[in-house]
Amino acid sequence: MMLGRYYIDYKSVLPKVVAGVLVVLLAVFPVITTNMITLSIFISSGIWAIAVMGFTLVLRTGQFSMGQAAFMAIGGYVAAILTVKLGIPFWPSFLAAGVVSGLIALAIGVIVLSAGGIYFSIITIAFGEIVRIVALNWEAATRGASGILTLPPPPITIGNFEINFATSVVPYYYFMFLLVIMAGLVFWQIDRTRIGGTFRSVAANPMLSEHLGVHLMKYRVIAFTVAGVFTGLAGAYYVNFLSVITPLMFDLWKSIQIMMMSIVGGISSIVGGSIVGALVLYTLGNYLARLPIFNIQYLLFGAAVVLVVLFLPKGTGLVDLWGKFWHKVFREPEEYEMPEEADMAVE
Amino acid sequence: MSLLELNGLTKLFGKLAALEDIDLKIEEGEVLSIVGPNGSGKTTLINIVSGYYRPSRGTILFNGEKISGLRPDQIASRGIVRTFQSNVLFEGATVLESMIIGSFLQYKTKDWQSIVESKAYKDDHERVVGKVIELLKTYDIFNDIFLPAAGLSHGYQRMLGIAMALIANPKVLLLDEPTTGMNHEEAMFVVENIKKISEQGVTVVLIEHNMKVVLNIATRIVVLNFGNKIADGKPEEVMNKQEVIEAYLGTETI
Amino acid sequence: MPPAGIWVDGLVQSCIYMTMAFGMVLVFSILGILNWAHGQFYMLGAFVVYYAITAAGIPFPISLLVSGVVVGGLGMLVEKFVIERLTAPGYGMLYVTVATLALIFFFEGAAGMAFGLMDKGLATVLPGVLDVGSFSVSYQKIAVVIFTLVIMVIMYVVLNRTKVGLAIRAAAQEPVAASLYGISVGRVSLIVMGIGCALAAMAGGIMGPVHSVNPFMGRIPMIMSLLAIIIGGLGSLTGAIVGGIILGLLNSVIAYKISYFSEVVLFVLVILVLLIRPQGLFGAPAK
Repeated sequence: MMLGRYYIDYKSVLPKVVAGVLVVLLAVFPVITTNMITLSIFISSGIWAIAVMGFTLVLRTGQFSMGQAAFMAIGGYVAAILTVKLGIPFWPSFLAAGVVSGLIALAIGVIVLSAGGIYFSIITIAFGEIVRIVALNWEAATRGASGILTLPPPPITIGNFEINFATSVVPYYYFMFLLVIMAGLVFWQIDRTRIGGTFRSVAANPMLSEHLGVHLMKYRVIAFTVAGVFTGLAGAYYVNFLSVITPLMFDLWKSIQIMMMSIVGGISSIVGGSIVGALVLYTLGNYLARLPIFNIQYLLFGAAVVLVVLFLPKGTGLVDLWGKFWHKVFREPEEYEMPEEADMAVE
Repeated sequence: MSLLELNGLTKLFGKLAALEDIDLKIEEGEVLSIVGPNGSGKTTLINIVSGYYRPSRGTILFNGEKISGLRPDQIASRGIVRTFQSNVLFEGATVLESMIIGSFLQYKTKDWQSIVESKAYKDDHERVVGKVIELLKTYDIFNDIFLPAAGLSHGYQRMLGIAMALIANPKVLLLDEPTTGMNHEEAMFVVENIKKISEQGVTVVLIEHNMKVVLNIATRIVVLNFGNKIADGKPEEVMNKQEVIEAYLGTETI
Repeated sequence: MPPAGIWVDGLVQSCIYMTMAFGMVLVFSILGILNWAHGQFYMLGAFVVYYAITAAGIPFPISLLVSGVVVGGLGMLVEKFVIERLTAPGYGMLYVTVATLALIFFFEGAAGMAFGLMDKGLATVLPGVLDVGSFSVSYQKIAVVIFTLVIMVIMYVVLNRTKVGLAIRAAAQEPVAASLYGISVGRVSLIVMGIGCALAAMAGGIMGPVHSVNPFMGRIPMIMSLLAIIIGGLGSLTGAIVGGIILGLLNSVIAYKISYFSEVVLFVLVILVLLIRPQGLFGAPAK
């Protein structure tokens, strides 16, 4: 396509333009709709997307962590305890939540990442359950089953403009947006540069990588710790958004849902896939929960995931449909099937 | 001081001694070939030297430093790199990707530099890619650079494995039966390349069944049988030793 | 020393975990996967028995068989249409894992929709207690133990004395060689899945009267049998049995001694096993 004297490669530009438009739309979303429910869904999806990115990063090193929700719990409780019991303002508590979560991930990772495959997964299940049970029973710190109620952060005043978290969800939306972008940039950059390749080599052939100089544990721990930090931050933010944390909010079933969001979204794209997966499955879950027919949400949710996994081509997720879509749009005429000369000669 | 010293190396699997009290000195620059019938312990030896197994008894010294008991990545980064007979590939990667991923030790820049994509990293990366392409051309796999590595024939997969080992900058290269499954031409191609590698100063330890290859390039031969070293010396001496001939009766074609 | 009642309860739990673990290991050794929805087959078996007894008046032992057949058949359907597709070469573990996890939600939702969420009791099946010295054991609990013994004997006979059992053992040890001898690994997979799910279903059925029946009752047994397999050793049938015994008794005794963190103790134990000796008691060592 020519524009004046400039040749524009529309095939690579157009998808990016469309993506850019989508991002802009997302950015001004609260202006388009003031429906609190819709905004809340997007806020929650964004937060889960960050947890999903963490899961996918750990997956890059060949490990399935079925305990990521536990880090959301850790982050959430740290932030809640710091703000409610110690009176520390929200934003430092939020950062502390990420740090603590990361440190715990580091400690756990160093110990358990040497176990391979299924053993590691089961350990993460056990870890998640331990976190839940501790949260349930350590009344002194976590108030057990009743949980902790949190308050929104105080308003932020910039010039004449006041950002008030208490009166509307819009500030939550924008901070979530910022958070997702920042997390996305970090995960995306890690995944696409050399260290991402090293992660993949650890997953694809640990023995070969090791003999070519790669310290397997180091890279597994790095991935697990980075995931831990961001998942903890996500948990802390979510808890503040919902104004409550209880032990049931981040249990094994949530860890499983994180895993599902990753696979359904598509593991090939650590940012896009996570966002798509979280958005689709969270929205689906939310919508199904409001259906009048009792319990159908579990049924349909489970069925949807099974069907997606069965029918998407091997190794792909919903996010890969994006690429396929553009490929179809741009398909050259020669790519259409032409009958072979030999076939025609038969007639 | 020898470059690589194995002292009293023993490896037991339960009660079975795969290697028994092996003493071996490997000098810099030589092309040492380790031969022996199946089950004689050749691959176990490589597995121990490369760090995959810990020796049950004995030590390994590299430039005077004790390396027995170190992890494979620690040993590889010190300059001892091995190839594999099977399991040579990164699942799902193309030839070029395999080489780039395998170039871990060739890079001089650190991980954080690669994440922020600093100028130093970009230059380093360009240098590495250049080396990769050079090696791929040498090993005649340049044409398949974007194809899945798993699609190469066995012989070429083995060449890719050798190329990956080379880009890790080895001082000592341990080749585990590199010509198995190759035809005569391919095997001689490997021989030529081993000669070149040796000329560049890399010490080569070659585990081989194909005696034509061995006699073509080895400067010294060590013979193993049932985990014991039964001969160690120049090719002519070793191949005429009675024990060696007996050990090989029926198991080798010369 | 905990009272006899605790040991009895522990034994009952052991029997259930052992049965379920056995089924899980059977599936694992042929299909190479953990069926995460195994607990839901347990739950469905309990529901089948419940309705067979209350709605159709079928006697208890026959209801058990019916549940085994029905749910075993359901398991075979799942194997054919979901698991088989997702364990084709090139898929890796991830997709079948997610699918079987999703099936947990699917089955629980289906059961919730079909049967409602309320606990259902089956207390009248085998009423009465047996008095042994100073304490009493309900007949239902005795039935569980007897049932498990019977099942184990049957399994032993099937696996060691029948052609099918031989095929199963061959396929578990050496799938390639077995297929060269004409054993269709696909068909063995179907059979094994059927047996495994039938075992889970009957375990659920026989436990129905002991606890109550609700759609979520399969979650804890699944986790417990998973832990049992770890302790016993993934892939080892003996391990499943021994692990089940250990876990059932441990669970009961620990819960009696420390009510709060008893589950934590179990999970920590499992983590330690996985770190120090991942192959458990009877499994094959890894490297």
